[in-house]
Amino acid sequence: MTIVRTGWLAAALLTSTALLASPALAQTRAETLRHVTGAAINTLDPNIPGSTREAFGLSLLTYDRLLSFGRKQLNGKWVFDLDSIRGELAESYTVSPDGLKITFNLRKDAKFHDGTPVTAEDVKWSLDREVSANVLGKGQLLTGSLTSPDQFKIIDAHTFEVTLPKPDKLALANLAVVYPVIINSKLAKSHATAEDPWALNWLKDNTAGSGAYIIESYKPGETTILRRNPDWNRGSADKPASFKRIITQTVPEAATRANLVEKGDADIVIDLQATDAADLEKKGKLKVVSTPQYNSITFVSFNNQMPPFDKIEVRRAIAAALPYDDMFKAALFGRGAPLYGANWPDGKAPTGEVFPIPQPLKTDLAEAKKQLAAAGLPDGFSTTFSFNVGQAGTAEPMAALLKESLGKVGIKVDIQKLPDAQMSTLINEKKVPFFTEGIVAWLPSMDYFYRNFYIGPIRWNYASLDDAKITEWAQAARFEADKAKYASYGKDLNTRHFELMPQIPLWQPAQDAVMASSIDGYVYQFHRQIDFRDLSRK
Amino acid sequence: MSQLSITAKRAGWRFASSLPALFGVLVFTFLLMRVLPGDPAVFFASGPTAGKEEIETIRKQMGLDKPVPEQLLRYLGDIGTGNLGRSLTTGQPVLSDLKSRLPASLELTFSALLIALVTAVPLGVAAALKQGSGIDHIVRFICALGVCVPTFVSGLLLIYVFYYLLGFAPDPTGRVDIFTSPPPLVTGFLLIDFALAGDWEGWRAAASQLVLPAFTMALFVVAPLARITRAAMLASLGSDFLRTARSLGLSRRKVIVTYALRNALLPVLTIAGIVFSTMLGANVLVEKVFSWPGVASYALDALLSSDYAPVQGFVLLMASIFVLVNLTVDVLYGIADPRVSVE
Repeated sequence: MTIVRTGWLAAALLTSTALLASPALAQTRAETLRHVTGAAINTLDPNIPGSTREAFGLSLLTYDRLLSFGRKQLNGKWVFDLDSIRGELAESYTVSPDGLKITFNLRKDAKFHDGTPVTAEDVKWSLDREVSANVLGKGQLLTGSLTSPDQFKIIDAHTFEVTLPKPDKLALANLAVVYPVIINSKLAKSHATAEDPWALNWLKDNTAGSGAYIIESYKPGETTILRRNPDWNRGSADKPASFKRIITQTVPEAATRANLVEKGDADIVIDLQATDAADLEKKGKLKVVSTPQYNSITFVSFNNQMPPFDKIEVRRAIAAALPYDDMFKAALFGRGAPLYGANWPDGKAPTGEVFPIPQPLKTDLAEAKKQLAAAGLPDGFSTTFSFNVGQAGTAEPMAALLKESLGKVGIKVDIQKLPDAQMSTLINEKKVPFFTEGIVAWLPSMDYFYRNFYIGPIRWNYASLDDAKITEWAQAARFEADKAKYASYGKDLNTRHFELMPQIPLWQPAQDAVMASSIDGYVYQFHRQIDFRDLSRK
Repeated sequence: MSQLSITAKRAGWRFASSLPALFGVLVFTFLLMRVLPGDPAVFFASGPTAGKEEIETIRKQMGLDKPVPEQLLRYLGDIGTGNLGRSLTTGQPVLSDLKSRLPASLELTFSALLIALVTAVPLGVAAALKQGSGIDHIVRFICALGVCVPTFVSGLLLIYVFYYLLGFAPDPTGRVDIFTSPPPLVTGFLLIDFALAGDWEGWRAAASQLVLPAFTMALFVVAPLARITRAAMLASLGSDFLRTARSLGLSRRKVIVTYALRNALLPVLTIAGIVFSTMLGANVLVEKVFSWPGVASYALDALLSSDYAPVQGFVLLMASIFVLVNLTVDVLYGIADPRVSVE
């Protein structure tokens, strides 16, 4: 650049910024949390089909549920705990000895944002809405045997009862996830219409909750500003949330987000590129909490119904030819928990309580060639490997390494980078032969994974697996109350998964929460968003 | 007076003749979006079960369960009543999204164009007057640099230097500092609204947010403007009427500004019009880098998720603006060169 040009720039910038420091900034900064993210909130009701993850995160702040998850430490990091469920709007709950009746005692002091008290009637209306209206909660609550309004009964103004057809381990957990929000039924009903009895349209743009935060301003795709609800006392410490204001801003460029948090202009960000997170961690100025997302998995997947991937030997050949370590380093910079490189001495899964577990997989090109020969394809074959644009940051380096390594055993791979909507459509129609995708389970119990990701012609059954044994065992494990028996089903399932190799679990990517060193209390949550109610400033 | 009426008549005629093109754009985009692979309903069905039912619900909500000709008729009917549909990405009506975002894009584009013109025209004139000299080479170098550095690179570089290293610029997060309260909405142009409200501190905040993205965009378009100015100036400097003007002993200033530059402005105007329209639609990278809540990044997000309504709305908007810009350029032609108005 010339002298003229830079001179201009500098002069313009100097004059325009010299007088910028506004007093308002200093006033509220300590009590305000500024969060930047690359994505956007698109509805205020998490139940609307098409809701984004950020909308889920927001609803946890503006609405209360009956229950919420506790936390536990996993390898020194705080994460949500599926097995510790505590009351949120419920002060306490009891489960009958046969496991069929759950009685909730509601908090008597809980109030909605407009001041009306929360009663069992509101709970009934809200849960009826979940199972009756066309909302996202319907499909979710199904996984906890909650399907009909008949199951929900008002005992008195502050006592509420849920009846289950079978004792279901996930019934309680399902009442703590994003969807079953407790809505101010009087307010919502006053905005319901004949075509829209559950006030879906109104709740999309309005909040009728009792949550820790009240929406002050909401500009979709730009900013959302929340103000603390001073009456809220459902947190673990029985007091209102710590921050007075929370600002969530959409900043699409990841590098800019990294700059913002490093400069101290933003307090917390969870969607940085792995390189930036590693870089900021090295500099040591900020707090970086890197938690492997223990409820998610990244797979290399194949359509098990499509030749040549219908041959088990072909799937095993690819599993033996993947350059796991190189891919892990290139895609994630090693930030996450690998699911390869385990050792199963007897060829059987060592545990069954959980899924996923590290697989006994390593790069072994000779083995890959042997398997290909056994499949009748000694010279290899040609195929495509697809991923969506949204994942390109991690999938692109991974695909390049995969292509190179598979080339060595004669499999020619053509890399396809597809727009997100196109990829979803093709996967839903089961038309992609060979690809990478990720899954997330809000309720990461072993049977939940198998039931939701390996059975039936649904989109999430990436491998299009149709295996009688897996189906049978997973369904049986769901209602198995005996822990030892449950684990033995799990062992069989995990072993069978490895034998069939319907898809190859690679790793659980880490969620890098990068925050100012003064921020305390971060917990990795099931919905992979920040629960701001946990956070405080030291 | 007659000059004015001739211009108005021509503008009106131009406008009317562009309506069929607008309609064509409308239908074409509509069909194009439907031909694109990728079913928005599937994309937005993100529920745990993502079953057929959920997908069907979204499809119905978007009106995609009807046959395409019927969808087109409904869409045209909706546009007639000013309804551009609803965006699934933001959850808002497209019209209100565009209304709130267009001023952001326009403000940025106008500022960038102004900076570019103020820089490029003198540079081009200087290069033409001293053809082959050092100045000419420097101008050529600047132009090459501006064109070959992509906007997201120059944008990130400017952020890195002026925000991250030097700390002169405010954080690149949108149109105004988050802690500054926005002015009462009048035009949507923050600089104008702040000025109307008399809030000069706010005005400064908005202006300082605008400086970096505007310069980033300006850098990119200085080159075509400066080059065309230089070429046009060279042509008019070498023309007969200038030789006559010089031989009559007119002052150098009069020769260059009144006769040479005015005649050279026509092609510059044409290019400026094109540059403006292009900038408005193509500044998506600048908008992304600076978190600028403009229409281009809005359309890109929608396109990636096959969200039909916002993309269609955006293309319609861009087509309309293109028509308006062409009209304006036409009118300006008449002022720069009265011969154009004589038919």
